[in-house]
This record gives sequence, structure tokens and C-alpha cells, in this order.
Amino acid sequence: MNESIVIRTRGLTRYFGAKPAVSDLNLEVPRGCVFAYLGRNGSGKTTTIRMLLGLLSPTRGEGSIFGKDIRALSPEVRARIGYLTEEHQLYPWMTVRQCGEFQAPFYPRWNDKVFRSVIGHFNLKPTARVKDLSRGERAGLCLGLTLAPEPELLVLDDPAMGLDPVAHRSLIESMIYLTRRSDRTIFFSSHELADVERVADYIAILDHSVLRVCCSLETFRNSVRQVRLRFPGAPPPTPKISGLLQAFRAEGELRLVCAHYDGATEQALRALGPAQLEPVPLSLEDAFISYLGERGEKSFILSETEAQP
Amino acid sequence: MKALIQKELRENLKLAVLGLFIFALILTLFVLNHVQMMKSLAAGGPPQGYFMQPLASPGFWSMTGFFCAIYAAVLGWFQIHNERHRDLWAFLVHRPATRTEIFLGKTIAGLILYTLAFFLPLTGFIIWARVPGQVAAPFEWIMLRPVAMHFLAGIIYYFAGMLTGLRQARWYASRALGLGGALIVSMSLVNEPHLWQALGIMLIGGVSLATAAWGGFHSQGGYQGQPAPGKLALISTLGLASLVVAFFAALLLAAALVPRNTDPWSQHQMTKDGTIYRVTQWFGKPAEIVDLDGKPLLDPKTGRMTELTGFTRRLCNHAQVSPDFSNHPSRPRWYDQSFNRFTLWRTTPDTFWYYWTPYGRLVGYDKTTRRFIGNLGPDGFSTDLSPAGARFNNERNERVLGRIIIDEQTVYELDLEHRAIRALFTVTNENCEATLHPTNANTFRGTIGAVREVSFNSYDWDYTMVVTRCFIYLLTPEGKTVWKVPYQPAYPDYKQVQIAFLEPTNRFALWLFPAGRALEKSGWKLPAHVTWLDRDGEALKSVDLPNLPHRLKRPRPEEKIISLAIPPAIIVTLPLLGDEAWPAAIPWWLMPYSLAAALVCIPMGWWLGWRYSFSLRAQLGWAVFYLAWGIPGLLAFLCVQEWPAREVCPGCKKLRVVDREKCPHCGADFAPPEKTGTEVFEPLAAVK
Repeated sequence: MNESIVIRTRGLTRYFGAKPAVSDLNLEVPRGCVFAYLGRNGSGKTTTIRMLLGLLSPTRGEGSIFGKDIRALSPEVRARIGYLTEEHQLYPWMTVRQCGEFQAPFYPRWNDKVFRSVIGHFNLKPTARVKDLSRGERAGLCLGLTLAPEPELLVLDDPAMGLDPVAHRSLIESMIYLTRRSDRTIFFSSHELADVERVADYIAILDHSVLRVCCSLETFRNSVRQVRLRFPGAPPPTPKISGLLQAFRAEGELRLVCAHYDGATEQALRALGPAQLEPVPLSLEDAFISYLGERGEKSFILSETEAQP
Repeated sequence: MKALIQKELRENLKLAVLGLFIFALILTLFVLNHVQMMKSLAAGGPPQGYFMQPLASPGFWSMTGFFCAIYAAVLGWFQIHNERHRDLWAFLVHRPATRTEIFLGKTIAGLILYTLAFFLPLTGFIIWARVPGQVAAPFEWIMLRPVAMHFLAGIIYYFAGMLTGLRQARWYASRALGLGGALIVSMSLVNEPHLWQALGIMLIGGVSLATAAWGGFHSQGGYQGQPAPGKLALISTLGLASLVVAFFAALLLAAALVPRNTDPWSQHQMTKDGTIYRVTQWFGKPAEIVDLDGKPLLDPKTGRMTELTGFTRRLCNHAQVSPDFSNHPSRPRWYDQSFNRFTLWRTTPDTFWYYWTPYGRLVGYDKTTRRFIGNLGPDGFSTDLSPAGARFNNERNERVLGRIIIDEQTVYELDLEHRAIRALFTVTNENCEATLHPTNANTFRGTIGAVREVSFNSYDWDYTMVVTRCFIYLLTPEGKTVWKVPYQPAYPDYKQVQIAFLEPTNRFALWLFPAGRALEKSGWKLPAHVTWLDRDGEALKSVDLPNLPHRLKRPRPEEKIISLAIPPAIIVTLPLLGDEAWPAAIPWWLMPYSLAAALVCIPMGWWLGWRYSFSLRAQLGWAVFYLAWGIPGLLAFLCVQEWPAREVCPGCKKLRVVDREKCPHCGADFAPPEKTGTEVFEPLAAVK
């Protein structure tokens, strides 16, 4: 059995009523990577994760984890997968210790040292009740419960959602520190691009339920470019070029963000006769926002009437 | 699984304590009520039948039934509701355990809590009732059989509650229909003649609901994605519940559409002077009273038709019995058997006396000490109670004031104040077997088929009426025969015997009515016989009364409407659940309506299946189900199915369901999402 691909989906689709939440998802997640799964709210990230873990049945298509059909994951396969839910829900009446005691008997590879280490990192008292924990502390406890079984695949659904910056940093640090193992794969969804930039090897971006990007971080960064074209007067109409994400028109300036910026794109832009054509660097966050932001042209040229004092 | 059971026990402990408290409170109210009643009795108040033994009181059983059903359903629902948050559910099910193990873990814990909440207070209640000096009434463990059955039925409600928590459906649609299934099971089990039938129904219902709940764990409460047994169980559960819904909808429809019954109904009645009149009544109209020649009875003062109220005052006194020579006269259903174990027979200033059926003897309790004082049988008073002693055979005694009691041949007068008994009348030298139906092993070997104390004012003892195989006797309270007449025509076609006491006194009329089944079997043609007797029982004249018009023309419009909601399978199988004593059947003449409704459901369901591209196998399977289960079947189908969206196929331009890989019309694949030119893909490799 070839397990170099840990997660694989083919045409995975899920509808809620008449609306597709995930459309024709074809995805492969290689073993040992940190894979960031990105997209705006409602783009289908959580739906994908829930389908992958057999918590939601796909409308059509198929998927596998460790080569096993996601519709019928066996307890043995589940033991190899750690899952951290986005709202870090636990039984409120349990204490931190009871959470560990409840979880441990199910996992043959439960590592109590890891559990204690994580809850120690978050300064959690074993006798504290879940209902009395802050959101960040609960996230830490969930992380401990997810990591202690020594899973080969970690699926984290927006693990830092709703955490304050300190708790957030603490969670990400623990994650990086405790999960970096060559054979461990991490699949996480997030809105925090700084985290993605720090930890991800690969990213995938869902846009309105459709997978549009699946590549390394570097490739994405190189693919999404911004150029500024300066013109002596009003800029000409925006040309039709492949991969155009956004265009900003201002007095004497046209700024374009494109995916797949290459020689052909540059040649098409130079044909507009700009006085100057210069690349403008984009951070990953900018690239991501441009990618997922509203497509098309935005004009900042005021009309003559509006320009009158 | 141990960890899961422990977690469930801890998580739902509060609910168990609450249930225990509520049930303990209910039982405490019963205790207080009993204590109050005993005080009232000591002060000379009237006794209250079955409530004398709280463990055998139908009120206690009903309350237990309600508690078990409601509490178990709430517990089952809560165990799911606690984890209904999407992430908490994911935390529960995403672990190295099968869904079956998770289901079992929850169920075992839930049933432990249910059992504790039920049995702890019940045990206390039983201990209280069994302490000598608390309850002055007979007790047998069999009296607790209904309680045990209610407890078991609660388990069905538990799974129904669990299923309600799991089901992915709207409340107003079908979410709570599992509870409807449980309701049907518990209603039918108290109505079954035999205990084994009740247990069978409970087993089938319980397994079905448990399997439906188990299936729900596999599919997060949906229908799709369940294992086949789960789907089948869900369909049968919702099918049963849909039957309740369809039945009540049909009742409402019938009430709204069918006008009030205006058909007349008639009966023969006899006045004090021995004249028979036919009284015909209609809803909303004055009664018509005519003699056997059809002449109206006119009021001599007004010359108008006599009104019913005035006529009623002119009717004679009468007493009626229904002799029974079968081996099990009036055999009660299993449920009723448990409280028919004893009858409060009479009270004296110091004692309570009960007829205790299994012993066939009267047992007495002291009012003050509430302790057993002894028993009275045909062989007299004894302080030991043994099932082997001489027995009364009181099933044929239509008791009025409890002054007489019988065995197979003899009528006794009771003197409970002195704990004594006296033979009043013994049947001897009767031989008329030829006039009776053939005897067999199931035929009662005794002689007396019915006896009744006759009291015109509910206090005095005017006569005693005895019906044997051969004769009908009228006795004085002292046991002297006033008259005896042959019992002709005899049992079993004529199972109702009535004596009318005419004025001036010492004139009588003997009515023999045909039994309901014999009458129906004869096509409503068996006449009632009336014989006028003088003081010695000599027949003065007799008449066969003309048949009264059969009241109901069947099927009535409301029956037709209601039968539309009854599945043909029920009409076919219901007779299997009854027996000779308790026939359970829906008339066959309702079958065409039931079948017609089922046949209409087939194209409707087929069209829906076609619209959503069901396979031929599935279509045929559902069609058979509609045929068997009719309109409730179609309702169940609508409840369980999850209807996928439909989109236009780019290949054939027809609407196709989105949950198939290929178009069912043209076989085309789904088109991949449209490219925008902004896609960035590259082959990914494992990170070393």
C-alpha cells in the first residue's frame, strides 16, 4: 500500500440543500508535510475536513485517508488521526485530568508525557474544570488531547480561531514544537496567514467551494504578482489578460494583481504604452487577500463633478 | 467502552437523581393517599376497591407507565442532546471505537441510570407495602407484572428518545416520530390477550427502535449512510408512527366531512303491566314508542305520543345475567388478570373481605391491625390459607352486594360478621346435555352458569336468579324456589337471560336474547324470546319478537375514510394477534378502501422515486411497502428520504440528481468547475 499520499480525494462534493459547499475537490496531501487549507468563511474548509473524517457524508465523489475509504474509517485508522475542532468543545463538567483519563483508554499509543507537557505549557491545573477554562486554555487542553495519542496525521480545523494573541502564539508554538516529526503530516485550516507563512509547506485555497490553488507556499507567492503601470494621463481600459485577479485604476496609474504573471502577461501590459511598469512586492497576506478578494476592477478616478471644490 | 460508560454515567447522573426524586415523590403520594384512605375507612368511610392494595391499583400502574415512558424518552434524548454540538459530537465519534461501541456505551450507561431511577424508589415502595400491618389486602408478585412490563416498555421509549435526538429532521416534520412508534407498541401491549404476545410485540418494537437508533449513530441521524438493518428499522419505526398520524388525520377528516349519524336505533322494552313496546330513537328527534302491532303509545292525558322520559317511569324492574359454560368465563387480558386477582367482597364494621381468585376463597383482614385474620371457603372458616382447600367458583357470580357466593353446584349465603357460611340452594339431578352444545375438554364441568342477587333498590335482597345448564331458577332470599323453567333455547346461541318483574306482583316475563356473535352469524335473524310466567313459573304465553332493523349500515362513510389510513397488512395480520376470547380484527369489508388507498400510493411514490432516480430495485421495494402499508407507508417514505438537489445536465439538458456520479439519463459525468485562469496547481511531493 502506497502511503506517500496521506489524504486523497477525487471529485469530492457536498451539497447543503441546492447549494454546493464543496465542489469536485481533487486533493492530494503528501506524507510528512504541513498543509494549510485556506479560504474565506463559508468556502467549504470545515465541510471538507468533516467529510475527510467521516463526520459528514459526501454528496458524491470519494476520498481516502491512509488509503482507507473516508466513508468507513476503522478504529485503527482513526487512532492514527488527531483531530482538533475549531471551537475546542469538551465536556464542561470534566476536569483537565478527567479529560485525559477519558481519552487515554481509547488510544493504544497514548503518551501521557506529551499530554502533561502540553497542559503544563498552558499552565493548566489538572483539577480545573473545563467550564472554568478560558478559550485559550481550552484550546491548549484540546491540543494536548489531540497530540498525546501520537497521531500520524493531525487535522486541525482553524485551531487558533477566537484566541487572543498570547494564547494564539502559545498554541502555534506548541504545535510547531511538538509536531515537527518527519513522518507526521499536518493538515490545518486557518485564517491566520502569519501562521501559514511560518509553518506551511503547501497550501490549498478554496474559493466559493472550488479548489483554485494547491501548491507550495513559494509557488503561490511567485505566481501572484502585483505590477504598477504609470501613465501620463488617464490610464487606458484594463486589458483582458489571463489570470487577472484585481485591477485598481487611479489618476495616471493602473495597478494589477495577476496569477501566473509571466513574459506573455508583461508583453500584453507593455502594449498599453505605460510610462513606467514596475513590480510591487506582495506579502503572503496581500497575495492571499488579492486572490480571495473581490475580482475585477476598482476605479479611484473621481468624475469631473466630484473633483470640483 | 468502559471509559465511555463511566463518562455517560457521570454526565447523566443528575438526570438519574432527578428521575429518582420524581418517581419517589409519585410513590410517596401513593403512600400518603393510602394512609389517608385507611384513616377514612377506620372512621367508617367507603372502601375503594383495588386501591386497597396500592401495588395492584391501576392508578399506580398507569402512573408507573407514564413515568417510565416520559423519563426514559427524556433520558435517551438528553444523552444525545448533550453532544449535539457539532464539535462535541466529532470529539465523541472521532476516536478509535466503532459506532456500535459508542452506541452500546451510551445505551448501557443510560439503561443503568434508568434502572436505578426506577427500581430504588420502587423497592422502597414494595418494602413499605409488604410490611405486615401496612396494607390490609392480598398481595401476589404477579400483581407487579404490569409494572415490570411498563419498565420494559420504558426501554423502547428510551431508544425512541435517542432516535429523536439523533434524527436529522425538523420537529414539525418527523423528528419525534420514533416516539409515535413507541406509543403504538406500549398501547398494543396492554391490549394483547396473552402475555407472550405482549412480550413479543415489545421485543420486536424494542429491537426495531434500538436498531434504528444504532443506525443513526452510523449516519449522524440521517437515512442515507446507514447500514441496511438500520434503514429497515427506521422505516418500520416511522411506518408505525405514520400509522398513528394517518389514523388521527383520517379521524379529523371524517369528523369534518361526515355529517352526524342520523340513523335510528330501536330496542324492545317492557312496561310494568307486561306490554312490550318498540322504542326507536334518532339523534335530535323525539323517540317513537309503538307496540308490537305498530300502534303508537299515546299519553291518555294529552292524546299525544308519549315522551321517552314518561315512558321510562312505566318500565318494569328486571335483572339480567349472561350464563357462561366455557372453561374460562370472561377470561381477562393478561394486563387485567393482574388486578383481577382479588375483589373487595364486603366490609363489616371490623373487617375487610376479599374474594381471592387463585385460592377461590374469601380472605379477611382486620380493619385496625390491617393483618390477615383467616379465610372462608365452602368448607367454612380457616386461619390457614391453602390453594388446595375447597374453592368457590365465583367467576359466574354477577355480584351485586356480596351476600351470596357459589361453587359449581351450590349457592351459599355469607355471614361475614360471624365468619360463617350456609348453603342456600344446591342444583341436583339435572340432565339435559342433549339440549346443550356438544361438550368437550374446554367445557365447564359445573352446573351453575350464572347467578345474581336481585335487588330493586340496591340495598334489599329481593330474589336470587340462578341459571344452570337445564333451568332458570328464581329463588327467594331464603333459597326457596319461586319457579324454575327450562332454559330453552339454550346456550351458546342465547347467552343473555333477563327476568322482568311485573305488577301486580308475582307475575314475571322471561327474556332470552341471542348472543351477539350468534345473531351476527345468523344474518341478524335470531329473534329474542319472551315468555310470560305466572307465580309458579307456568308459561302464560310466549312470543318471538320481530327482528329489529340492524342499526348500522356498513361500511359507514366515516369508516370508509378511516379505513383509507389503515394499511392492508394490518387488516390481514391483526386477526393473528387475537384469539377466540379476544378477537382482534378489522372487518374485511374495509379492505377495498384500504387497498385502494395503497394502490394510489404506488404511482405517487413511484413518480417521486423516478424524479430522484431511484434504482429499479429500490422502486420495486418501495412499491411493495406502499402496497402493504398504504398511506402510512408513503408518509414513512417521505419522512426517511433525504431529497438531493437537482441540476440541469450539461449533456442531455434534463434535471439530474446531484448525488450520482453520472447522469442517470445520458450517463454524462458532472462538468468540473469552470476555470477562471487564476488556478495555481503543482504536483506535491512528500517533505523529507
